[in-house]
Amino acid sequence: MTGRKPFRSLALAAVAGVGLAVWVFPVIWGLLTSFKTERDVLAYPPVWFFKPTLDNYREVIFGASSIMPNLWSSLVVSTSATFFTMLFAIPAAYALARLKYPAKRASGFYVLATQMLPPVGLIIPYYLALQKVGGLDTYSGLTLIYLTFSLPFAIWLMVSYFEDIPFEMEEAALLDRAGRLRTLWYVILPQVRGGIAVTTIFVFLNAWNEFMFAVVLGGNRVRPVTVAMFNFISVEQTQWAKVAAGAMLAMLPVILIGLFAQRHIVKGLTVGAVKGGGRR
Amino acid sequence: MGSGTKPARSLAAQERRFALALFVPALLVLLLTTTVPLVYLGWTSLQKLDMSMPWLSGFAGLGNYAKMGGDPRFWNSLVLTGVYTGTTVVLQVIIGLSLALLVLQIPKGQGLLRVAAILPIVLAPVVVGLFWRTLVLAPDFGLVDLVTRTVGLGSHNWLGDPQLALISVIAIHTWQWTPFAFLVLLATLATLPPDVYEAARLDRAGAWQRFWHITLPLIRPAIVMVVILRMMTALSAFAAIFAATGGGPGSATEILNLYAYRTSFTELNLGYGASLAMVLLSITMAISYLMFRLRRARS
Amino acid sequence: MSGNEAMRASASVRIEGVVKRHGTTTVLHGVDLAIEPGEFFVLLGPSGSGKTTTLRILAGLEPVSDGRVFMDEVDVTMREPGERDVAMVFQSYALYPHMTVAQNIGFPLKMVGTPSVEVAAAVNEAAAKVGIAHLLGRTPGQLSGGQQQRCALARAIVRQPRLFLLDEPLSNLDAKLRMETRLELHALQRNLGATTVYVTHDQEEAMTLADRIAVFMDGRIVQVGTPREVFSTPRTIEVAGFIGTPAMNFVSGAWSGATVTVAGVPLAVRASTDQPREVKLGVRPNDLRIVAEGLPARIERIEDLGDSCIVSFAAGESHLKLKSDRLHPVKEGDEVRLAFEPGAEHLFDAQTGARL
Ligand SMILES: Nc1ncnc2c1ncn2[C@@H]1O[C@H](COP(=O)(O)OP(=O)(O)OP(=O)(O)O)[C@@H](O)[C@H]1O
Ligand SMILES: [Mg+2]
Repeated sequence: MTGRKPFRSLALAAVAGVGLAVWVFPVIWGLLTSFKTERDVLAYPPVWFFKPTLDNYREVIFGASSIMPNLWSSLVVSTSATFFTMLFAIPAAYALARLKYPAKRASGFYVLATQMLPPVGLIIPYYLALQKVGGLDTYSGLTLIYLTFSLPFAIWLMVSYFEDIPFEMEEAALLDRAGRLRTLWYVILPQVRGGIAVTTIFVFLNAWNEFMFAVVLGGNRVRPVTVAMFNFISVEQTQWAKVAAGAMLAMLPVILIGLFAQRHIVKGLTVGAVKGGGRR
Repeated sequence: MGSGTKPARSLAAQERRFALALFVPALLVLLLTTTVPLVYLGWTSLQKLDMSMPWLSGFAGLGNYAKMGGDPRFWNSLVLTGVYTGTTVVLQVIIGLSLALLVLQIPKGQGLLRVAAILPIVLAPVVVGLFWRTLVLAPDFGLVDLVTRTVGLGSHNWLGDPQLALISVIAIHTWQWTPFAFLVLLATLATLPPDVYEAARLDRAGAWQRFWHITLPLIRPAIVMVVILRMMTALSAFAAIFAATGGGPGSATEILNLYAYRTSFTELNLGYGASLAMVLLSITMAISYLMFRLRRARS
Repeated sequence: MSGNEAMRASASVRIEGVVKRHGTTTVLHGVDLAIEPGEFFVLLGPSGSGKTTTLRILAGLEPVSDGRVFMDEVDVTMREPGERDVAMVFQSYALYPHMTVAQNIGFPLKMVGTPSVEVAAAVNEAAAKVGIAHLLGRTPGQLSGGQQQRCALARAIVRQPRLFLLDEPLSNLDAKLRMETRLELHALQRNLGATTVYVTHDQEEAMTLADRIAVFMDGRIVQVGTPREVFSTPRTIEVAGFIGTPAMNFVSGAWSGATVTVAGVPLAVRASTDQPREVKLGVRPNDLRIVAEGLPARIERIEDLGDSCIVSFAAGESHLKLKSDRLHPVKEGDEVRLAFEPGAEHLFDAQTGARL
């Protein structure tokens, strides 16, 4: 298709390359900045070659403004939100995808509708309610509100994976005397392992990156790293190198997940988009 | 064989019981975590509930909603929401689709491009906002200023000037989410059967005609889906704008979502904030309803 | 296999007045069947006639809208699939893709808590019976179509079920393999002695495998009988047209006395009638002859199949086929006359299609 016109394909590659560099460059630039001294950061014209320093990282890891506690907060709340989401989503998605029960269409629609809720509409009642019961600044409070966006999403994503299994699977297993529960456990779940992994990744990413709920419902004890980054910039206005180092550290898990699970993420996005799920 | 000892039960009834046992827990969680709070939100929106003036609290009926009519900041936020959602979605689809069409013709290196496109998607919007506020858009030292100064356009206060600030937050959002449209459309385009194109080529359809009459109709469902999802994200965009401009300068980038948030948690007027959130909720629901109707009508 | 197990390995099956509806469409209009223990019973019929539905009702995978199902004279209509002690081979095989062949075959035993030593022994035995003992460590994805089919078969026989259900198990194999597997399947069933219900729309398969055939048409059983009975005395014109390749030839005629007059030409038939009536006269291609005196026809086409040939004719409105194992000294376009082997005719009522 392109062989005939080498110039054209070169031009194509150039345009695509520029477009994509725009996505990568800010992140690379941030990475570079995180190794600069504050003086190098403000050099004009910008310096490409500089003596890298680990001071910024030392500062955000061990210093007075260490973000380690915040990384821990993020880890705890993201893990527990992911765990509970999957715990409820997998069975529900299985029922929705493969079993007959009354009002199935309506309940599927309900799940979809809950996914469309704007977070700001949820946070006000949560704030008022958690304030009353002393649930502000607790892991359980934050985990609970994270379920509001991750559970519907996970259910719909899992539905699309369950739907890919041939319907004779259950029938064969039922005839093999497995019963409903063991059919699910031994025959169906092993076949959606990939889907479970992708969904888990998405849910975890969304929870890790969440900000609005965390900033309102968190506090001094439970302060996820997204909130910490935000506070950082308010306090350390001009210390960009430190901000960059913090940001790199905070985003390291999601960037790694993104790179390693790249193929699955694309599939997850597409499945979600084509089948009607997915907020991202 | 022992199979006669169990009481006879119908397969369908047993399936129903099993299905409900699996589905009801999630349903209860969703009812409890989303629907009950929404009812409470609706109730709150009918209250006068101002944390800075707690002594004035009480039932307000539709007072909060009535107040919106004469609130210029509300109308401003509504307009901004429209502008922000409209431009970001259109830009994402156009750029994402063009890029996908281009990249599809590149024989090698698509994998690399996909990895690059994943990057903005996985980043936390709040971090993206901070990044842009400092490294990209800061006057004098930000990347954009470096470019404009180099090409002689001079330095600008990208986030301090009301109009530039709106353009900036739109750019940030577009930067972060175009890869989504790009990846989804690229994947969709890759699944199109090549023989359709070959047939069209034989029918002497030009490149543009092929796109317009073949590609576009085939990927329309994917585009509609991308548009729906991107609208939802744009309508409830928060963290990136909040981190980059905080809704300012003044209320130049204060979309309805931010206005509801600031009213509730900066000005602590939760009653009015709740009514603003109710408006956003209705808009979101109305749009998703319309889009799903549209999608069903098409398919 | 001990005598006791052999008894257990075959059940009698009876279904009474089974009706199946999907919403407003009825796909089975009251089906009755009685299958003997150890019988190889074939459900034959064109696509969409309700064979699979019937089989799934026997398996318990599909609830009936009306009617009852008995196994060994015990009513199992409401019983779940797992409690019926039946095994099924699906058209798609439905092998568990994440398990090895050994795990697939052993699954039905594992599910009833059979000790793993016994499972292993039974798996080896079943795999050996179908000739896949050397493939036990592979996963279904690493098997050819024929091997997958055998794996599905082994999974079904490993538990020595009372009833063995197969839904077009050979349809995904190529022609040669299908032929071979057919013979093996027949031998296997004889060896196991298990009651077997086998669905196919391939009448040749049905003829070679079945002890008895039930012919389905539009959600009804129109005939039950041995392959020979169904072939030689089809009860309706549809059955006659469905069984046999090439299909039976039909011409309209008027029957009176011991003659059927077709297009003005009287043809002698064995049966005679008192009251003259309109009939359909059916003759199998094998029984058609080119003769000096008979129905005038023009040769449209001659297909030489090597060991036999098929000659197509146009006779008035109708098109006829003749099958013969010797090559006729005729050529396309020739005008000839046709008759049939005496007594080889089938007469059907012109209106109802019932055999006369
Ligand atoms: N779930 C369903 N809803 C509505 N109609 C159905 C359903 N399942 C089957 N049918 C209809 O029931 C009829 C019988 O189907 P069945 O699968 O038993 O046919 P079959 O004889 O096995 O055909 P084939 O040889 O094509 O497999 C068909 O007309 C089919 O369209
Ligand atoms: Mg069938």
